[in-house]
This record gives sequence, structure tokens and C-alpha cells, in this order.
Amino acid sequence: MTATTMREEAGAGMWEVTTRVIVYAAIGAALYGVLAFFSILIPGTANVAVRPAFALVTFFGFAFGPIVGFFTGLVGNMIADQISGWGLLTSWNWSVANGLVGLLTGVFGVYLARTIPNRLLLAAVASALAIVIGFLFVITDIWLGTADDLGVALSANYFPVIIANLIASVILTPLLVAAWDPVRESMGR
Amino acid sequence: MNVAPRYLGRGSWLSRRDPRLLLVALALFVFTVIQVWDLRILAVLAAIAAIYYRSARIPFRAVRIQWFYVLFFITFVVVVNTLLTGGELRGYTEDELHVFFRLPLLGTPISAESVTYAIAQYARFLSMAAFGLPIAYAIAPGDIGPAFARLGVPYKFAYGMELTFRFIPSLGADMQTTIDAQRLRGYEWEKRGRTPIGKLTRTVPLITPVTINAIVGAEDTIDAMDLRGFGTQRRTWLRELAFDRTDRLVLLAFVALLGVVTVLSFSGQTQLWVPPVLVDLAG
Amino acid sequence: MPAGPLVEVDGLTFRYRRGPAPVVRDISMAVHPGEVILVAGPSGCGKSTLLRAINGLVPHAYSGELEGAVRIAGRLTTEMRLREISEVVGTLLQDPAKQIVGATVESELAFGPENMGIAPADIRRRMAEVMAETEIGHLGGRDTAHLSGGERQLLAMAGALMLRPRCYVVDEPLANLDPASATRLLDLLRRLADAGHAVVIVEHRVEEALQLAPDRVVAMAEGRVTYDGPVDGFFRVADPDAVKLPFPVVLDRLRGGGVASRAVEPTRVPQQRAADEARVTFDDVHVTLGERQVLRGVDSTLGRRETVAVLGPNGSGKTTLFRTAMGLVQPEAGSVTVDGRDVASTPVAELARSIGYVFQSPSQMLFARTVREELLFGPRNLGLEIGDGDALAIEALTRVGLADEPDILDRPPMTLSFGQQKRLALAIGLALRPRTLILDEPSAGQDYRTAEAFMREVARIPGLESVYFITHDVDLALTHADRILVLRDGRIVADGPPATVVEDAENWHASNLQRTSLMDANLAWDGARGARFLDAHALAAALIARERPTSEGEEEGRRSIDS
Ligand SMILES: Nc1ncnc2c1ncn2[C@@H]1O[C@H](COP(=O)(O)OP(=O)(O)OP(=O)(O)O)[C@@H](O)[C@H]1O
Ligand SMILES: Nc1ncnc2c1ncn2[C@@H]1O[C@H](COP(=O)(O)OP(=O)(O)OP(=O)(O)O)[C@@H](O)[C@H]1O
Ligand SMILES: [Mg+2]
Ligand SMILES: [Mg+2]
Repeated sequence: MTATTMREEAGAGMWEVTTRVIVYAAIGAALYGVLAFFSILIPGTANVAVRPAFALVTFFGFAFGPIVGFFTGLVGNMIADQISGWGLLTSWNWSVANGLVGLLTGVFGVYLARTIPNRLLLAAVASALAIVIGFLFVITDIWLGTADDLGVALSANYFPVIIANLIASVILTPLLVAAWDPVRESMGR
Repeated sequence: MNVAPRYLGRGSWLSRRDPRLLLVALALFVFTVIQVWDLRILAVLAAIAAIYYRSARIPFRAVRIQWFYVLFFITFVVVVNTLLTGGELRGYTEDELHVFFRLPLLGTPISAESVTYAIAQYARFLSMAAFGLPIAYAIAPGDIGPAFARLGVPYKFAYGMELTFRFIPSLGADMQTTIDAQRLRGYEWEKRGRTPIGKLTRTVPLITPVTINAIVGAEDTIDAMDLRGFGTQRRTWLRELAFDRTDRLVLLAFVALLGVVTVLSFSGQTQLWVPPVLVDLAG
Repeated sequence: MPAGPLVEVDGLTFRYRRGPAPVVRDISMAVHPGEVILVAGPSGCGKSTLLRAINGLVPHAYSGELEGAVRIAGRLTTEMRLREISEVVGTLLQDPAKQIVGATVESELAFGPENMGIAPADIRRRMAEVMAETEIGHLGGRDTAHLSGGERQLLAMAGALMLRPRCYVVDEPLANLDPASATRLLDLLRRLADAGHAVVIVEHRVEEALQLAPDRVVAMAEGRVTYDGPVDGFFRVADPDAVKLPFPVVLDRLRGGGVASRAVEPTRVPQQRAADEARVTFDDVHVTLGERQVLRGVDSTLGRRETVAVLGPNGSGKTTLFRTAMGLVQPEAGSVTVDGRDVASTPVAELARSIGYVFQSPSQMLFARTVREELLFGPRNLGLEIGDGDALAIEALTRVGLADEPDILDRPPMTLSFGQQKRLALAIGLALRPRTLILDEPSAGQDYRTAEAFMREVARIPGLESVYFITHDVDLALTHADRILVLRDGRIVADGPPATVVEDAENWHASNLQRTSLMDANLAWDGARGARFLDAHALAAALIARERPTSEGEEEGRRSIDS
């Protein structure tokens, strides 16, 4: 008698919360939290510091789905803030923004798959869109008092952060995907 | 790479509180502070924060860097805001300001108001940071999962939190190994490329192996969890959490504080208050 | 109870979803309560897959095509849920660092029962029992991050015990464990079996696994069962080159001519015993990592032309010792010099050109898209003359026996098998043409044949003057090194040629090391002369040669003695 498996591959159901999802989410968050302190100041700009590790948020979202992406961004950023001393919730709205980016990357990654057959290009595009949309959430800084008005919120927070993270994600996420895909194949999962 | 915040507050008054209290208190306090600009109220809040922080008995040497970082970052926020707004403040027009002097070149007015604003920002963020740190140092590693679970976070994600903290030290160690391995191949993280792009791509030899290995290694972790029935039903937690009287009182106090401040802020009494001395100084 | 089989595998054939062909074929076996079954076989023959079929991961977590049937306590695994199976079958995986999910010892032990929704009070009771059973009471309250390799493995086992299964499947639990820790784990498994549990264990370190006194051995090759029966029968059929058998067995097999006696190559780097200048010198080196004093005053000189093996308990500081030598860790007191230059004031990359370092887990340095890029990364960083990259890459791969893999240059390094990654890591270390090689646990996680071949290839590398290696495999150390360093609690407690070091039995045992049949035979044999020990094959040949003075065995014996 033949019995092929009853368990679907993770990612088949984008919103399914399997053990796999939880473990990947935890790894993503821990990695992002740990590596976040590597940062590169872009010369010439006042306050654009690129966090290479941010690419992990979009990568985990893209490779393992919106839930993993959201957890990676949200919890990872909180931990980064915690380790840096800024405080778990001091900039909770930024953590949420990070989470949204991870989530959106996962969603776009799935829905744009048909229009963009090339995986690496898809990864770059999905990340870019997710960053531009997800980080709109930091406008809440006006209410939280970190920014005085919309002008400041956009010029001091939104634009610098999306520029920095676009640079990081558009370059590094495809590279990570390119490294991961063949390994996933050989692991056969 | 030793990044794991250790349980240094062990045995302190705060560490004996219910871990949920620390999380809830932080949330309540953050939402209290962000409503306040009035230096007098902020002074009170800062004092509360100081007491709260002391009660965690975190050795300063362990968090020195963190405090420097916070100070640096607040300064950054203040300066950027002052410059970008051209020294103007919400609810104030240029002529209402009591100007000390104007910045050369930019001509941005430095006024009693903007100084007050700056002081307020410092008070706000320093007290929030003071409330944040104990989370890392005064909660036992094993309590994180149950704490979030009992706060209503779905148990799988609550466990995800605990797992995250479990992974931090080992991933830190892996990172160190990879850094060492690449240094032996003539790679130095410090020796970065010139262009931003170059700098970025130079992180690939570090980030890629650590990430891919972590994911590959996860297979065993996933198997080990599946094999012990994770996620097959609502789980119990070995750690039983219970608020004692002190916990309830503290919680009550913070709820009250938030309530009072919220009322004040809606009646517009938490806005920027400029100390007369400063106004006089401006003349 | 009248024991029907606890586990019944019946004509099992399984193909992984992405795999091209079945990796286990038509396997049938039964495991009864109280039985201990040792599964042996070369890498990739399907041992782990068989275990996965027993504990339900196949097909519940690994999708694929399954034929035949696996019954646990009479029920088909395909018709049980994973959690139901896990209440009968407990599993211990190879790498304890990965299967431990709790941040503290308690939370790790509680993990299983918590998932089963057991009440905290009951969990605590059970925890107390299990901690007593496994003798890990002293670990209570510790963070799992700070446990040693041996402690981790015991904790992982205790975690499996918490669900009180009746059958245990254990996959290569001894890799990376020092012999004493290994014995503790095996004793525990034995006690479980005596208490009526069933144990199925996969292990490459067969001789140590024999401490379990297995009731049966199941030998596998290419996915099929080639032998299933009592241990002594296994000894008669097993290939001594593929499986590490106790020395007396090897001797008998050679006597009986049951094995084509292979020529014994000298496994040692060419020696110049007289006046060997220093390559690495440790001068009263102290190292502290975190709060922990890892090295406490190491004084030693490693020569330019010698093969040194470093033995010692888990956590004794072996890896740290060599990381210090490479300038990756700064000593807080004392100094290290390489070829007379102070390490502290020498760039790490400079050191890497005279000493190649192969890490314990090879994959931690692999990042490039292709093996080619991976190999050229080092030389490029150091601005070496590369010329035609392929030529250089091919040459490096040839030296480690990887060159003839199909289109190896363009394969993603991370998709190579563990053994191949190990060789690639070696090739990377050799790309800078070092004269000395440091190997951290070269044999861990590989089968006997692969490990031995690896060491032989290393010995044959042209231009290589010395090899220093860390290992937990006593025989590997004794037969491949002509000098043994034993490290304990961050101090060197023994140093000298094999024969002299092992004489101090007390010290030997205090360092979590054990006697092996091969070691005893070498000592009993007068030919040792304080030089390097002979491997089982060579020693057997030598002994036989002496029994039959006029046979080709003699020359072989001599060759091996002289080598
Ligand atoms: N998830 C998977 N998908 C596809 N193929 C796999 C998977 N896991 C293992 N294989 C392949 O199945 C074969 C048997 O693997 P298995 O791990 O059972 O061998 P093993 O005897 O345990 O080897 P080792 O002694 O190295 O652990 C190998 O060729 C391996 O590449
Ligand atoms: N970065 C670090 N911070 C704190 N402790 C560390 C660090 N690295 C290693 N250690 C500890 O130092 C001790 C020695 O580590 P090392 O890896 O040298 O031991 P080892 O002899 O190689 O052990 P094994 O045989 O298990 O590989 C261990 O107890 C380890 O936990
Ligand atoms: Mg295996
Ligand atoms: Mg080691």
C-alpha cells in the first residue's frame, strides 16, 4: 500500500502557523536583533545609516512568508532597541513598521510571483514595495512626539529610513535568496 | 560576540515581581510619557523611572554603552528636529518665541521654548529607556514565554518569543566563528569598500553563512519540537505566574498614573511649559 | 507483559519528495521491549531515514513516497498523529545544541510535557524523577547556552525521557562527545533497556557503542539491510575498512584471510626527528572568555615537523587553544609566537599563510555562489597572484580529492555533503599554501572509512610540514600523531609520544579518556618502541607476520613498523 504524506509544505498555506514558521520566525528575529548594530553611515547625507541586517526582515518575509516576516521585523527590532538600550517599547511604532515591511514582503512575494518569474528580481521588487508602504507607519511619530509635524516626520524619519533600507534590501535580499534557494532544493524540504 | 543580555538583576526587588508586571508597566508608562511635555510633570515621571530602574539593581558597567547610545540618539533627535523645524515649535509662532540667539548661517532661533523642548525630550526618552532596560536584565530567561502567553499572546508566538531569546546567544557565537573563519581568509570587516554599495556587499561573507547555517540547523530544532508534540494542542506552562499584593498595587499605581496624565493632557495641561527663569534670561 | 514487537518495520521503501530515488528499500525489522539494536552503515546509506520512519517524521514531517508499513505498538504510523507516536517513541538527534529549545535546563525538560498539556505539578514531579535517573541534578537552574557538549547531550536525552516513551531512537549521539561523556550516555541507554525499554541506536563509533551490549546489529548499505543478527555474526561479515571493529576482531578476520590485506601506507608527515625548530610557542598563556577562565597557563612548543593530536574533555579549551594561536583570541596573560613572530602584533591573515585552520563545522565559512568563488576568496583578499582562477581552484580541489566530482567548480558550496564540505574547507585552508595545518575534530560526523581517508589525504599533501589536530577519537589520535597533548581544565596535563602518554592510566582516565582494544594491543606489542601506534590493520598484519615468519605478511608488517 502506498501512503504519500498528509502534511503540506510550509508556505503552501501562507497564513498557516506551523512549528516551522515559529522556528524560522524566532531565528529571523534573533538574527536581526543581534546583527542590527552593524550600520554604515552614508557619506553626504545627514542621517541615513544603512543597517545591512535589515535585509533579513525582507529575506525572511520573502522566503518563509508574511508571518515569519512580521515576527522577524517586529520582535527583531524590539530586541535591537533593547540591546542598544533604547528600550523595548520606546519606539514601538518603528518595530511595528519593521514588522509590516516583513509581512508585506511575504505577501507581495506570493502575489507578484506570476508577473515576475525571476526569483531574484521578484525578491528585490517585493522588498522595495514593502519598504515604501510599510514604513509609512512611522508617521505616527508625530503623535508620539519624536517628530513635530508631517514635514519633519517625512524628511527626518520616513525618507531617510526608506532610502537606507531600500539600499540594504534591494541589494542583499536577492543575494540571500540566491544563496538559500539551491540549499533548500538539496535539503528537499 | 557576546550580545546576550544576561539575567543580572537576579534577586533584585524588581526581578521578584511577576514578569507580566514589568511588561505591562513598561507599556503603561510609555503611553503616559508620550502625552507629556510639561517639565514639572516630566520631572515627577523621571523620578518614578529612576526609582523603578534602581529597583532592578543592574550593574552600571553592564549597561554603560547602552546609556551612551541613548544619550547620543536623543541628542540626534533633538538637533534634527530643531534644525528641520527652523526652531519653530508646535503652538508657537516665530514672534512668540523668547530667542536667546540665532545659529550662525542657518539663522535658526535658539529660544527659551526650544531649550525647554530639548530638556523635555531628554526627560521623556531617558525615563522610557530606564523603564525598558529592566525587561532584559530583570526577567528570568525562562519566564518570557509564559509571561507573553499569560498576557494573551497566542501560545505558539509566546513560545516563539522564548525561542528567540534562546537563539540569541548561540547565533552570537556562530557569528563570532564566521567572523574568525573569514579573517583567516584575509577578510576584515573594518576594511570596508569605499562606495556604500561596496560597504554593503562586504557584509555578505558574514551575513550569508550565519543566516543559511541558522536556517539549515533549524531542521533539527523543528524535528525536535515536532517530536515532542509542539503545537498539537493548547500547551501548559511549567512556570505558574501569579500577581501578589505588591504586584497588584504597583500595577494599580501605573494605571492610575496613566489615567491622571490622560485627563490632564485632554484638558491641555501637559503642553510645553517654559520655566520663567528661561524667559527672563531671554529678556 | 508478553512482548509483541514495539516497532515493526515491514517492507519499508521511502523516497524523499525531492529525491530522485528511494533512499531506503524494502526494509523489514522488528524491535521488542528490552532490546538494544545497533544500526551501522556508511554515510548516506539511509540510517537516519530509517529512524525518521520509526519516530514518524517520515512521512509526517518529511513528505515523500512511502511503501510498506511501520507499526508502533501495533498501529500504523501513517494513521497516527506525530504526538501520539511521540508518546511511544522518544528521539535523540545528533547535535544537542540544535535540539535543545529551552533557555534553561528546567524549561527544556518541561517542553514536551507542556506541549502535551500536562499540569505543572505533575511536570515537576516527573522532572525530579528524570533528573535523578539521568544524574543531571547538578545542572538544575543552569542556562542551556552555558552547558558543555556532553552536558547538552545528556540534557537532550533527559528531555526525551520526560515523555516516558517505551522506545528510544538515537542518531549518532556520540559525535563530538568525549569518551567519558559518551560512556555516561550509553550507560543511561543501557539502564533504560534493562528497565524494559527498546533502544535503536545509529552510531559510527561502533567499538564504543558495543558498551551497550546490543542484542542485534542491523547493517545497512545503499538503503538496504545487509545483515540483521547477533553482534558476533556481524563481526564475521562487516568490512573492517568501512566499520571500526574491536582490534581482536580485525586480527581474527585477517588471520582467517577473510579480508584482502591492503598495503599499509605511511600515514605520517615526513619526519626530521632531530632538532625540530618551533612553529607555535605558547608561553604561560591565560585566556578568559566571558566570565570563564578557559586557558590557565599553557606552556608548550609545537614543532615545525611533527603531527600533534590534542585530546581532552568537552570544554577543556582545545579549540580555544588553537584560536589563540591564530590570533583570533587575545590572551589576557602570556604570549604566543608563530615562527618566532609575536601573534599579538601579526595580522591574522599573515598567520593564515603559514598555518591553515580547518574549523569543526565547515559550513560556517561558506557564502559564495560557487565552489570556484569560494576557493578564490582568500587569495583575492590577500592580493595573491591568481592568474587563471580555475587552475588554482582545480589544483586545491585535487589535493583534497574533490576534483573529479561532476562540475564541482560551479556547485553552490552549501549543497555539498558534510564530508565534501569538510574537504572543501580543507582546500580553502590550503589555498594559501600553509606549511602547517590545524584540524578541529576532522573525524566528527563522518564514517570510519571517510575519516581515515581524510587523514591519509591530509598526510599526503605536498609541502605540508606539520599537522596539529583536535579529536575525541582516541585511536585516531594514537595512530595518526607522533605526539599527544592532553588538555584538562585549560592546562596541559600530558605531553609526549603515544606510548608514554597512555602509560599514566590515572591521568588518562581523569581526562575523560578511555582505553581502547587497539591501544592495549599496541602496548602489548613490543614493536611500539614509543613511536606512533599502528592502526588496526597494520598492527594485525605485523602480528600475523611474526606468527608466520615466511610470508608476504612479514614485509607488510615491516613496512608498517618502519613507516
Ligand atoms: N530531506 C531530504 N530530501 C531529500 N533527500 C534526502 C533528505 N534527507 C536525506 N536525503 C538523502 O537520503 C540519503 C540517506 O540520508 P540519511 O541521512 O538517511 O543517511 P545516513 O545513513 O543517516 O547518513 P549519515 O551517516 O551521514 O547521517 C542521502 O543520500 C541523503 O542525501
Ligand atoms: N565566547 C565565549 N564566551 C564564553 N565562554 C566561552 C566562549 N567560547 C567558549 N567558551 C567556553 O570555553 C570553554 C572551552 O571552550 P572550547 O571550545 O575551547 O572547548 P573544547 O575543548 O573545544 O570543547 P569541545 O571538545 O566540546 O569542542 C567551554 O566551556 C565553552 O563553553
Ligand atoms: Mg544520519
Ligand atoms: Mg572544540
